[in-house]
Amino acid sequence: MAGAGGGGCPASGNDLQWCFSQVKGAIDEDVAEADIISTVEFNYSGDLLATGDKGGRVVIFQREQENKSHPHSRGEYNVYSTFQSHEPEFDYLKSLEIEEKINKIRWLPQQNAAHFLLSTNDKTIKLWKISERDKRAEGYNLKDEDGRLRDPFRITALRVPILKPMDLMVEASPRRIFANAHTYHINSISVNSDHETYLSADDLRINLWHLEITDRSFNIVDIKPANMEELTEVITAAEFHPHQCNVFVYSSSKGTIRLCDMRSSALCDRHSKFFEEPEDPSSRSFFSEIISSISDVKFSHSGRYMMTRDYLSVKVWDLNMESRPVETHQVHEYLRSKLCSLYENDCIFDKFECCWNGPDSAIMTGSYNNFFRMFDRNTRRDVTLEASRENSKPRASLKPRRVCPGGKRKKDEISVDSLDFNKKILHTAWHPNDNIIAVAATNNLYIFQDKVN
Amino acid sequence: MEFKLEAHRIVSISLGKIYNSRVQRGGIKLHKNLLVSLVLRSARQVYLSDPCPGLYLAGPPGAPLQLPAEPAAGPSAGWGEPPPPPAAGLETEPQPAHPAAPGALRAGDAEPATTVACARDTLQSGEAAAAAGGAGDQAGGSDAFPEGPRETRRDCRCPPGVEGQPGAPGAAPHGDCCAEDEPPAPPPIGPRKRPAAGAGGCGPAGRPAPGSTPVKKPRRDSEERPGRAEEGEEEMETGNVANLISIFGSSFSGLLRKSPRGGGEEAEGEERGPEAAEPGQICCDTAVLRDMSPWSTAIEAF
Repeated sequence: MAGAGGGGCPASGNDLQWCFSQVKGAIDEDVAEADIISTVEFNYSGDLLATGDKGGRVVIFQREQENKSHPHSRGEYNVYSTFQSHEPEFDYLKSLEIEEKINKIRWLPQQNAAHFLLSTNDKTIKLWKISERDKRAEGYNLKDEDGRLRDPFRITALRVPILKPMDLMVEASPRRIFANAHTYHINSISVNSDHETYLSADDLRINLWHLEITDRSFNIVDIKPANMEELTEVITAAEFHPHQCNVFVYSSSKGTIRLCDMRSSALCDRHSKFFEEPEDPSSRSFFSEIISSISDVKFSHSGRYMMTRDYLSVKVWDLNMESRPVETHQVHEYLRSKLCSLYENDCIFDKFECCWNGPDSAIMTGSYNNFFRMFDRNTRRDVTLEASRENSKPRASLKPRRVCPGGKRKKDEISVDSLDFNKKILHTAWHPNDNIIAVAATNNLYIFQDKVN
Repeated sequence: MEFKLEAHRIVSISLGKIYNSRVQRGGIKLHKNLLVSLVLRSARQVYLSDPCPGLYLAGPPGAPLQLPAEPAAGPSAGWGEPPPPPAAGLETEPQPAHPAAPGALRAGDAEPATTVACARDTLQSGEAAAAAGGAGDQAGGSDAFPEGPRETRRDCRCPPGVEGQPGAPGAAPHGDCCAEDEPPAPPPIGPRKRPAAGAGGCGPAGRPAPGSTPVKKPRRDSEERPGRAEEGEEEMETGNVANLISIFGSSFSGLLRKSPRGGGEEAEGEERGPEAAEPGQICCDTAVLRDMSPWSTAIEAF
């Protein structure tokens, strides 16, 4: 079978047997709102896994070195650093509270021993430096070991402080704060391939920043109409091209994607490419507009494709073809007849993310009832898996799940009406190289790996 | 008819969402509110364009004309605040029809509610005309009064720049009031929020939606005040819906411009009791934007 796992080549999503590896987070049934995970992101090497939550905290997990005595389990992820990234704020001018929820985390490529990431809430982006300290200096002249200052007059001799090993300490410090550039709520940040700039997007504008400069940013997209009465769409996500530093895309609430080239003009209000699939008139309903709103857009690693997520489907687009996607994968089509109820309980506004695997041969996205879906682009097969505590024995294989759209329910199927819409998987991440996935289920982070044959 | 009920339900839900968005942490979410307003617009269009000819023929003599009807006329009890100056020929017709109409009416709550709302809003002749005119617009037959509404519609006085903005916003409502074909393009909010709704909502709402509950009919025979209070009680949801439709339903601008008054007032109006009185007070000439309610402050943020 094409892409079968084994050897050093990571296989695509469905030829593997996914197994439970770890789960992080409280088991408590009572979930504190602040603990709800709002973003998940692997770094470039996959050794670090960052999560942000609604309480404004960032938790970084680090993969342990592979243990020779346990070849079956790849390195586990353990807590590496935890810090409070954003605090709730109040905009006194507008009488608005600014939520501390972390909307997105994006890692910077590693350039030295320290790690850098960008984290953002609705209004402010912060650059954090995470560095290790495993030595400390002892024998200062002007202060003693407790840190108290010594009386200079009592010092009779000088000594050179020496470095002594200490327990590893991981420190996170905010190095840059990029504030006051967004009137609306920031939904995306994306680091450029030049490693010097990044973009931040809110509902109506996209700004370009230099990582070193915090007091200025360039506005590169502005779709705010002169008359807000004429507002018809907002920006929902934006991302830089993985290789071409002048190219980025942004998606809209109307289900369209615009690709922009920063070389063509300073203000990229005019797109270079416009991706839109014509609407199917037969499926029109009150909620057609809502479900066509794109919640996430991701370039493939190759840079040749991009993927968009709307409420019911995931679409893969070839950047060279604007008229329609090259692939459409139904995530939970059985919800189409339930849109009115989902509108009532606000689930229709849930913003699901999507992600590619390393070789771009598989894509993954979340659903309800703690289900998540994987689509193999080569074999055209898909699978539904569940993140649950019941399936959390070490290395327990995940059994594919099936949802019965209606009528007779077969054994092992779950009916649509039994789905728990409070258990939603909005954020997932795939290790850049290996078959390891991180799935955020409310306040828990599940890590699954493929079974090494 | 089912579509109408469904549409009405969706409209109420949408308005509830917009209202709740004001008090959510983190401020108003532009994206979500835009989507909700789009749903609201679609639902409203469906609601208004659903023909239901049968019921219309039964209803129309009573319903639309209840708008301008004198309070003394039973059904309009609770509807007309100062009964608007009689539009050409309109008001005189309904009287005899009233007793008959009520019984036949009452399909959708919102329709009579919107008419109520319109009436409450100190309708002027223009608005009544617009409402009736709107009613006349409806496919399904404004046979009852083909001429009158259109005539009066032209008479409609839509004072421009009520909000202190004599520019486009002022122009828009005028066009709205006098617009012949509104369903295709959601009409911009009128100078008085209700009137726009009147044009949009009241007009077609003039014809009773099929399936309206007949409950309100008997009450209309009561005196104005108690009737209004009772109707206010009952129509709390629907009246509120209607009022909020006028604010939010036509276009996104509703969210931004009118809601400082309408939304805020509606919010207060959510406390039932004075509900009936509220909208009437809202719909006055004063420049509404000067009042900086927290709602408007939030809107100003955008």
